[in-house]
Amino acid sequence: MIFAVLVAALGAACLLALGSGDQPLPLREVLGALTGASETSPVATTIVTTLRLPRVALAAAVGAALGLAGAATQALLRNPLAEPGLLGINAGAALAAMLVIVQIANLPEAALPLVTFAGALAMAALIQLFAWRQGASTLRLILVGVGLGAMAGAGASFVAAFGPAAEVQRAMVWAAGSLQDARWVKIIWLAQWGAPAAALLWLMARELDLIALGDRVASGVGQRVHLVRGLGVLGVAMLSGAAVAASGPIAFVGLAAPHMARRLVGRPHARLLPASALLGALLLVLADLAARRVLAPVQVPVGLATALLGAPVFGLLLWRKRDG
Amino acid sequence: MRPAVLLGIGGVLLLALAAWALTVGSAGHALRALWEDGQAGLILREVRLPRVIAALGCGAALAVAGGVIQGLTGNPLADPGLLGVNAGAALAVVSAIAFAGVDAMGALVWWAYLGAAAAAGLVLALGSAGRAGATPVRLILAGVVVASFAGSLAAAILLLDAQTQDVVRQWTVGSLAGRSLDAVLPLLPHVLLPLAATLALSRQITALSLGGSVAQGLGQNQALWRLVASALVVALAGAAVALAGPLGFVGLVVPHMARLALGADYGRILPLAALLGAALVLLADTLPRALWARDIPVGVTLALLGAPVFIWLARTRR
Repeated sequence: MIFAVLVAALGAACLLALGSGDQPLPLREVLGALTGASETSPVATTIVTTLRLPRVALAAAVGAALGLAGAATQALLRNPLAEPGLLGINAGAALAAMLVIVQIANLPEAALPLVTFAGALAMAALIQLFAWRQGASTLRLILVGVGLGAMAGAGASFVAAFGPAAEVQRAMVWAAGSLQDARWVKIIWLAQWGAPAAALLWLMARELDLIALGDRVASGVGQRVHLVRGLGVLGVAMLSGAAVAASGPIAFVGLAAPHMARRLVGRPHARLLPASALLGALLLVLADLAARRVLAPVQVPVGLATALLGAPVFGLLLWRKRDG
Repeated sequence: MRPAVLLGIGGVLLLALAAWALTVGSAGHALRALWEDGQAGLILREVRLPRVIAALGCGAALAVAGGVIQGLTGNPLADPGLLGVNAGAALAVVSAIAFAGVDAMGALVWWAYLGAAAAAGLVLALGSAGRAGATPVRLILAGVVVASFAGSLAAAILLLDAQTQDVVRQWTVGSLAGRSLDAVLPLLPHVLLPLAATLALSRQITALSLGGSVAQGLGQNQALWRLVASALVVALAGAAVALAGPLGFVGLVVPHMARLALGADYGRILPLAALLGAALVLLADTLPRALWARDIPVGVTLALLGAPVFIWLARTRR
């Protein structure tokens, strides 16, 4: 029931996003363009299918990936404030991409998701490594993640200071976290990298339920905790890497979506994961719509919009959790 | 070694460092050109001297602010940059330039104070609310989120206002490039006064850093001195941001170095921290130019140097 409502809300948000822009289109035209009805004007069809549809679809796909990655991270770290963006995993992916874009002039675009995946995975591994002292406490993981994230951000600026101007320019546009350059090929990246990761996490839903209760409880009922955590981190890195490759680093969606999902469907991950994905998609479609329209004709990068919307949510969560 | 001797040696070394920094640049000039007429003298006096003064001032201010905030919150990971105070000040400065058309440094610094105070209040309220009080991780999370919000808002303002963007582009990542003597000199009192006040009040800060019951036993009016210490942090961080933009990690790293050398007495730590902070920022600003002839924003260099120390501290914390 809730899922039907979420899907309907996502559909409505997508239609709204497809209809609004410098050239507003009524719902009938949008639906006509999507279904290829013959009475729709060719202009409307072009606007909807070639200009707006890739962007809306990419927003939904990236949002879903970020929501899923956030839900999994929160389970793996047992901390409701954990998020790939906050932990510096996105920053690691962005640094890797920055390095490669600036250093290799004729980088085939298809290689980008591989690079960002490697960056995200390396960052996740480094966080684990540095936080490890007779086991990895979740507090240390977060602090180390914040530190490594700051370092990766500075590293990206450093690379930018040394690189040739043209390549740096290209990298900077991408690093702002924007959906402006939405193309179908990016959605294919997300499908290639995100779908297997989503399937992996979905199959692990029960294991995530267990590991969220604590390592001791989980290993007490026979779970191989380290294997599960390793696989989970792999899935998160694939999702984050694909999302960062497609749109640059976008913060807070991975934090907010799982929280809203938990309120709607409760804690079991078999329900929480798909709900987080749907809500992440919904949030990012709406955030991108706001980023496009609120200050039109200026387009705010969607990464800025999510930070402005998401930071107060995070502050509220911190305030709510003040007694525990 | 006696602290006074250590401080004396440190002061001499810092002067030598500053003299060397004056000779580094795309057109290398000898130090004596400072007193000569002509182009070389002009470059040294108008381009490099303000930059060196700004580096020394904001380094000392941030290091002392970091020491005070660590004592105040009992949190070894505290730093005006990480706790969002610098980002708040930067947002206020960007807004003042964009919306109120303020351009004099002497006026901008008051906006920086305002932003720093607002951010510090918000972070302390968010991070220390509740029964558990201010645990390090809560404070850091509150700081990260306030910094991220203020940073995004500043970025959005700059996106809409290309003129302001042009003025502050370098400054928003923390840079000392392109300071004129006219911009730096009005800020010096704003750095030196709170610096002197903090050093004079270091006994009270030591008492605060020992924690509630000890401070009470010493008869300290804690509410008052907490407020005073917070105001000092805000003044120091605000002035530093007005000088150089939001620089992180100086306030984190330097007090720990001073503590390793001299122990827990803030009367000894803070003067040494001021010297070390000034030296660190000056080095971070000058070394890339000396080694690679590249002008890298000092905030970037400092983050690359400081983040590993943060990670190390997070690892070894009890």
